[in-house]
Amino acid sequence: MKMRCTTLPAGLFLLAALMSGACLAGDKTETSLRAAELARFAANVAADSAALEKLLDANLEYSHSNGKLDSRSSFIASLTDGSLDYLGAEPAIQSLRIFGDVGVIRGLAKMRVMLDGKTSEFTLGYTDVWLWKDGRWQMTEWRSVRLPDAPPK
Amino acid sequence: MHEPRLLPALLAALMLAPAWAAPRGDATSAGAAILARFDAALRGDVVALDKLMADDLDYCTFRGDCQTKAQYLGEVKSGRLKYVSIDPAVSKVKLFDDSAVVLGLASVTAIRDGRQHTIHISWAGVLAWRDDRWQMTTWTSTLLERPSK
Repeated sequence: MKMRCTTLPAGLFLLAALMSGACLAGDKTETSLRAAELARFAANVAADSAALEKLLDANLEYSHSNGKLDSRSSFIASLTDGSLDYLGAEPAIQSLRIFGDVGVIRGLAKMRVMLDGKTSEFTLGYTDVWLWKDGRWQMTEWRSVRLPDAPPK
Repeated sequence: MHEPRLLPALLAALMLAPAWAAPRGDATSAGAAILARFDAALRGDVVALDKLMADDLDYCTFRGDCQTKAQYLGEVKSGRLKYVSIDPAVSKVKLFDDSAVVLGLASVTAIRDGRQHTIHISWAGVLAWRDDRWQMTTWTSTLLERPSK
């Protein structure tokens, strides 16, 4: 398993999630859903396959902004083999709603990614769907759109 | 005359009543609700769309912008957004207690602000079972470079 130091924001997300004690277990609340989301971004950056196995539903469909579709196993594999390397992620949750056992989050995320040896930075608009299963939130759907670059100030 | 032995049975019947009195949504009806939404959009049928969409709808397009139900219906009603053709396909339904996530593909030709575009998208709709029917609470789509088969 590939592990490396996370960026400061990612580390803070993980710390916040662990301190809340709600990312992997707890109640079906907006607070625990928010914690799970932040923990997932941190796990992406850390390429932490063990954490992702718990945070991602076995039936995950991960639709990248370029239209590429990953399953849970192929997504985790891309992180651990280094073909996709999230160098940093700064999510900003815009809305969070719960419908029964399903949670839906919409947000923006500033991403720094190494892909095919090239580093790029961009902002995503994303919507993801979480399922409350086995006493914890698990992400079952991810969709994102790469937003146009902000004009220089 | 009061019959105490009937009371537990009566209470049990009352507690169970809502479970069988109200039909529950299933995967088939969830997929059908999404397809009905496409059909209503193509016809510009705002009344049908109003029923198929939840009041707290979050409608996010492939461009990354998000609209409320009122904003989306306003665009359809005003003619600012007019669908020319929609070819949708449901690929999967994930059914939960009172909600469903429906996934699929669509080729859409629409006129927005007088300009016609054809796009191919993969989409996801989150439905909630409310008032004895499926209502779409979330819509999100991703632009595909070419139609997927």
